[in-house]
Amino acid sequence: MKPFEYLEPRTVREATELLSTYGGKARILAGGIDLIPRMRKGEIETEYVVNLQKIPGLEHIAAHEKRGITFGAMARLRSIEVSKTIQNKYPILYEAIHQITSVQTKYMGTVVGNVCVATPASDVATALFALGARLRISGAKGERTEPIEKFYVDYRVTCLKRGEMVTEVVLPDPPPGIGTAFLNLVRTHADIAKISVAAAIVVQNGICQEARIAIGAAAPTVFRAANAEALLMGQKITPQVIDKVAEIAAGETKPITDLRSTAEYRMGMAKVLVRRAVQKAMETVKA
Amino acid sequence: MKKEIAHFKVNGRSYEVILTPETTLSELLREQLDLRGTKQACGVGECGSCTVLVDGNPTLACSTLAIAVRDKEILTIEGLSRGAQLHPLQQAFADGGAIQCGFCTPGMIMMAKALLDENPDPTREEVKEGLGGNLCRCTGYVKIIDAVMASAEKIRKGDN
Repeated sequence: MKPFEYLEPRTVREATELLSTYGGKARILAGGIDLIPRMRKGEIETEYVVNLQKIPGLEHIAAHEKRGITFGAMARLRSIEVSKTIQNKYPILYEAIHQITSVQTKYMGTVVGNVCVATPASDVATALFALGARLRISGAKGERTEPIEKFYVDYRVTCLKRGEMVTEVVLPDPPPGIGTAFLNLVRTHADIAKISVAAAIVVQNGICQEARIAIGAAAPTVFRAANAEALLMGQKITPQVIDKVAEIAAGETKPITDLRSTAEYRMGMAKVLVRRAVQKAMETVKA
Repeated sequence: MKKEIAHFKVNGRSYEVILTPETTLSELLREQLDLRGTKQACGVGECGSCTVLVDGNPTLACSTLAIAVRDKEILTIEGLSRGAQLHPLQQAFADGGAIQCGFCTPGMIMMAKALLDENPDPTREEVKEGLGGNLCRCTGYVKIIDAVMASAEKIRKGDN
């Protein structure tokens, strides 16, 4: 590993000041499961490493009556996975984490770190898109909160500006009539997904009131299939509607060909997974 | 780069070392503390061979900066036996033929220890899941799982 200077802020304010001072010369260390191997491989060279692990209060998972749940930047994947509140209220986030095979990775890695790495093949981020997650961001000039869709700009590029860091994830309370599903395709679960889909729909009196369809590993970022969602809104969700929605969603992907799949295969499977995910989400709606 | 003196607690023993920030925990253990039981295979967090426990949590030493864990309790494979008496996991691996080339074994055993500390009575499926991040390139997983199941029973009976 190339030498760097190691910094250990004790507060978020200290951290954002350091990030503001050093800008692009600094990297944030949270769980380290992405950063350290990439530094070892020489893919990342940095002059400063800002370790968030010594800042108290970033590991919390807090449930708020009727106002959803928040968890901190250092909440480990494992803590989220074993949280009963997450399992009961946000089962697709649990599923997306649970299917990660390396237990060590889950003890070390954080949800926020996973999000900030901004790979399109993040199952966790795909689930968060469907759950309507928002990210609380701190910077030298204050705080802002962004929906996760706005956070992603491009492949491995986020909307974070110089001196900013994500401090918290906010998940809204699941509304009555919600159904959710998470599905992915993998060669083996030890590998990242060829494609993943998460869906959340809200159905009242048989009519779709809200729809979120998130697709991972099929474009430069995880994204929501907006046209497919629009087609569901205000509709009675019939098999014919679901078929059409799946077809439209597949058309919204911009996949690449790589060692895991061809672009054509990804597009074809997007259609299959979106269809299955919407069906499965429908089945989980509590009458 | 800047070197500093850092204190570590490994297997209950205190160490004082001169450290650069880019030293990983596996490099510290193997090269500076001469604790070579912790193996490094892939070096990029894929295989689990370098698993140690940091404050009881299973941790990939290759992907951990040593300096970041300098105030924590670190447990490696060398810290499991009591003198010549092997830990039940070590004994079960030896008795059950769960060791082939042996390279993945320390990581397997440390991960299994974390698993049994949390869940002393796991199902076979839970052991498989718990060891999901540990690769054995001799591919002898059945005996490894057998050994963890056998030692879980021994530990529950207090027979160690």
